[in-house]
Amino acid sequence: MHISEGVLSAPVLMAGALLTVGGTALGLKKMNYERIPEVAVLSSAFFVASLIHVPVGPSSAHLILNGLVGLLLGWMAFPSILVALALQALLFQFGGFTTLGVNTFNMAAPAIIAYYLFNLPVRKGNHLLSIISGFAAGAIGVGMGALLVALTLVSTGESFFNVAKLVVVVHLPVMVIEGIITAFCVVFLKRVKPEILEVRG
Amino acid sequence: MKARIRSLIFCLVLSICYLMPVSAHAHKVNIYAYAEDGMIHSESYFVDGTKCKNSLIEVFDERAGTRLLEGKTDENGKFSFKIPKVTSLKLVLHASMGHQNEYTLSEDEVREAMGEGQRPQGARQSKETKTGKETSKSSSQPERVSTKSRGKMDREVTDIGRGMSESEMEALMERVIDRKLKPVIGMLVKLRENNEKPGFTEIVGGIGYIVGLMGVAMYLKRRFKERN
Repeated sequence: MHISEGVLSAPVLMAGALLTVGGTALGLKKMNYERIPEVAVLSSAFFVASLIHVPVGPSSAHLILNGLVGLLLGWMAFPSILVALALQALLFQFGGFTTLGVNTFNMAAPAIIAYYLFNLPVRKGNHLLSIISGFAAGAIGVGMGALLVALTLVSTGESFFNVAKLVVVVHLPVMVIEGIITAFCVVFLKRVKPEILEVRG
Repeated sequence: MKARIRSLIFCLVLSICYLMPVSAHAHKVNIYAYAEDGMIHSESYFVDGTKCKNSLIEVFDERAGTRLLEGKTDENGKFSFKIPKVTSLKLVLHASMGHQNEYTLSEDEVREAMGEGQRPQGARQSKETKTGKETSKSSSQPERVSTKSRGKMDREVTDIGRGMSESEMEALMERVIDRKLKPVIGMLVKLRENNEKPGFTEIVGGIGYIVGLMGVAMYLKRRFKERN
């Protein structure tokens, strides 16, 4: 999911940067004092999840957790994911600074989509509905992320079409695994600390 | 509010405890080894560049796990030995008081060094080739005699000077340089591999950065609140 520097064309980079600036501004506006630690913890979770790679065939896969970040933070997912990706670019050269905007948007936009689709079922639904919604949020986070990466690559040039298809196919099993893990997290939080999932304006 | 902060601190401490490595070495000590001419040469040093003098080095067959030999480093932290077995070799350095590190030579490196070690046979083959050349030279001697009889001494001197052609010299120099540079290139490749893996230190550093940014954000938000 980290698109390296020098791959994308300038219009794609600028569009990603502008969208990320807008999303981050909206996220910062909604961020109040009491919820800053929550944002930091989920940023750390996103940061660490992307660094634990499991070898799968010729390449390796890793969790993304953007669905979970979206469910818990809503629009605050943008600054959260932006910080995590910036630190990965800084410390590990994953992705890059010119592509930071595109990478952030590709990860945070699915988080917002998962939030709006499954916020109410997770918070107000019963146990079974919470599990299903958590799974769907995790899966949609990864799936939409893969689709956005593919769209970004295709927008840059026709030569990336095969790579774009490969990105989507590779992330299908990751969707299932991430859905399961997100469902477990949602159920755990509902039992242990239900106020985290209270409906808030 | 206090309960939340307590639970947050508890979660952080718990996660840090879980991430703690099971075993830790003392000061870092380094060992590097390379294979050349049927021998394996190792150099051992501490982080600040001090040599590991008189330290124990054990050599294992990495695949089978058996210990093949052991030895002590000299005053310059070096220990060299003949290749005991053509397999991937693991060198374990035991510096004093718990300092320890290891280095692994792959089977390809060891086999290649052994191949170089078989040079005497290669030399014999080249000698045989030279014998053939001598035969051809003896067959051409009458021509040289006729040249001498002509009285042209310059040609003879020129022929003697051209013992080796230019392309042969280039090939020989390239071979020597390749052999000398191979350990350096191997070292660079391993350094790159190590740098590409995210280390535990950097991961914890990244989390620390995030916590620091959280503190800055909370400070700014509170000040913004107070102004309102």
